[in-house]
Amino acid sequence: MEEEYEILESTVKDFNAKYVDNNSLKLENEAMGKEFVKMLADQGFFSMAGQGEDGKGADIKALSVVLENLAKSAPAVAVKTLMINSFSSVVNEKGIVDSVSNGSKSGTVTFSDLLVGKDQNGSLRVEGGRIKGEKEFVFGSDSDFVITLLDSGELVLIKSGFSAGKRHKKLGFRSIGFSSITVDSADFSIISKDGRKMLERMYEELSIPVAAIALGMSEGVSQKALDYAKVRTAFGHYLKDFQPLAFDIASLVAEMDILKRYFHDLLAATPSEKEALFLKHKALTLAKDISRTSLQIHGGYGYLEDFGIEKFYRDAMALSVLLHNEEKDMEKLAGLVFDARAGFV
Amino acid sequence: MDFELSDEAKEAIVKAKEFARKHFTEEVAERSDREEQFPTDIVAISKREKILDFSNPWKVLVTIEELVRRDPGLGISVTISAFGSEIFMLFGNDSQKEKYMNPVFAGQKTLGLGVTEPGGGSDVANIKTEAKQDGDSYILNGGKMFISNGQIADYFLVLARTSPPPSPEKKHRGLSVFVVDAKSPGFAVNKLHGKLGVRATNTAELIFNNVRVPKENLVGEEGKGFYYIMTFFNISRIYVAAQGLGIAHGALDRLVEYSKKYGEMSETGELKENLQLAIAEIATRVEAARNLTYKAASYLFKFTPNPVVTSMSKYYAADTAVFSTRRAMELMSLHGLTTDLERFFRDAKILDIWEGTTEVEKLIITRMMLKEEGA
Ligand SMILES: Cc1cc2nc3c(=O)[nH]c(=O)nc-3n(C[C@H](O)[C@H](O)[C@H](O)COP(=O)(O)OP(=O)(O)OC[C@H]3O[C@@H](n4cnc5c(N)ncnc54)[C@H](O)[C@@H]3O)c2cc1C
Repeated sequence: MEEEYEILESTVKDFNAKYVDNNSLKLENEAMGKEFVKMLADQGFFSMAGQGEDGKGADIKALSVVLENLAKSAPAVAVKTLMINSFSSVVNEKGIVDSVSNGSKSGTVTFSDLLVGKDQNGSLRVEGGRIKGEKEFVFGSDSDFVITLLDSGELVLIKSGFSAGKRHKKLGFRSIGFSSITVDSADFSIISKDGRKMLERMYEELSIPVAAIALGMSEGVSQKALDYAKVRTAFGHYLKDFQPLAFDIASLVAEMDILKRYFHDLLAATPSEKEALFLKHKALTLAKDISRTSLQIHGGYGYLEDFGIEKFYRDAMALSVLLHNEEKDMEKLAGLVFDARAGFV
Repeated sequence: MDFELSDEAKEAIVKAKEFARKHFTEEVAERSDREEQFPTDIVAISKREKILDFSNPWKVLVTIEELVRRDPGLGISVTISAFGSEIFMLFGNDSQKEKYMNPVFAGQKTLGLGVTEPGGGSDVANIKTEAKQDGDSYILNGGKMFISNGQIADYFLVLARTSPPPSPEKKHRGLSVFVVDAKSPGFAVNKLHGKLGVRATNTAELIFNNVRVPKENLVGEEGKGFYYIMTFFNISRIYVAAQGLGIAHGALDRLVEYSKKYGEMSETGELKENLQLAIAEIATRVEAARNLTYKAASYLFKFTPNPVVTSMSKYYAADTAVFSTRRAMELMSLHGLTTDLERFFRDAKILDIWEGTTEVEKLIITRMMLKEEGA
């Protein structure tokens, strides 16, 4: 890794050690708190993927290094960071971008239009200059600003005049709001007339950062399993000595290391859409597998939140649903591999 | 070979379905899960309505499956009140059966089983809780971990060491089972919070600080406790397999429902094939797990238990539950995440752990098979 990224990595590690590691369960389960969000912003973590014409902050590699390392301790913090960066990458209004980047306000992008079928996600229309209606499945619904798609196909930034509905069940990332929103607002601006296309592009751009979070989670949870297996005994042996456990975790960690290398190689170049999609798919599958194995190694203790394992198990699945859709991605991948429309019947 | 359930068992399924429909509302299930609250009222109603008919083990098995299929946390809470009672049935004396087992079967009392300790659950023979004889009593010292019904049980069956093992290889000797009244002086309970799933069930740590237990509370013979517990697990694992069937079938129900409502159609007007094949795979696994479980049950209920098939059924049903909930979550996307399927996903993972981890079940399968072949 180049020196500047190494420095960034150690910055995140220090940040984790100081503010996250001892607090990670709380950061997962309860609202993060303004002070903590401000600290994240002060580190510059919220202004890493700006879309500025001067290229300012448009550094996917730096963002990925930050996300990967945050996710090792607190996946919810990494996801929050990604959401803010994704939001800022398409907003042109400096005041808003600044307020989000400095942590005084928050913003989110609603990807659910791409994740569930048409008509399953509520409806937002413009009537008499106001956006009205409801949108389902808004991840980050406790934010100050929301970017979402209208029925007419425009992508809009809603700046006020919306409220979060009853919270959806939350498998993971419990500190981040997740609910429907009810909108009645004249305070909005249009980001793109061809909103679905733009949302799709933004979704595509999530591939590498989502993979970074999934990899960070795999690193965090597997490290706990490796540590535990070295000290816990059963039948007079350390757990690490038993073949089933040792082989399972070893092969998953080796897979993780290979993926990490692939990930860093991709970051050094410009990854193709196929490579990025495939990396995301593999990293998410790995995060689910490795968190299951790590939980299993912990036996009953893995099932309790105190050991900080079960949250990875929940978050790995939540990540693969909230910011990813297996079927849609596979259809895309099949199309890229066949170089023709494929995998749609 | 007959794959049909008896009419009685079929009636038990109908009764369980109706009970779950009436009492396992989403509101109650969600609240019990969120607040980690044991559903005392529903359990009381289930006892009044004799939802579990202990006179017929097939009825118990299918009732567990059906209730858990509706909601795992509530289903297990309702069906776990008598956890450990087979130990009385097989090894208890008449007075213990009368005093402890009958009130549990009658729904008046709740039982818990304390085997696992903070230092380990798989390695049962290595437990550290001690019971020292003192006149007409035993004095218990030590602690038990992750005990279901911990806060609510009236009595516990507790495994403790009564004499040192003759050699390090023979640690399973010198262990005994006692009934401990939850009101005994020196006995304390700490509720465990923050479980991943089955949060409606009550789980606690038990502490024994010079707990005096009368000699008549020794179950069976002194020193044979390990054997009693292993015999019990060979029974209870079949019921855990039924929990797995319930969870996996519940996930399948939800996926099928989803596919009818939201499943994407291809241009041919059929459900897209990826979803069709996933449903087929889960349904096949559920059926295979059910056949294994019913086979194990069939051996057991004819008093010819087959530990190999029993462990196979527990391991495979647990794995099927975890597999099915995960696949359903992946395919149902936000519809899975925001419905009770996410609870099923969290609940399923316990089955890989309790009453013999998946690794331990696999070891039992091979060791017993090799032993049988050797014989
Ligand atoms: C919610 C809940 C309720 C429970 N209820 C009860 C109850 O009512 N009564 C009770 O007594 N216990 C209960 N348990 C405890 C449960 O049975 C134990 O957690 C389980 O037996 C595993 O023991 P452990 O947690 O100590 O894990 P360990 O025994 O420490 O095992 C850790 C890991 O090592 C693996 N391992 C161990 N030995 C080997 C080996 N030889 N080869 C390969 N892998 C191995 C295990 O499979 C596991 O993956 C409950 C647990 C939970 C979480």
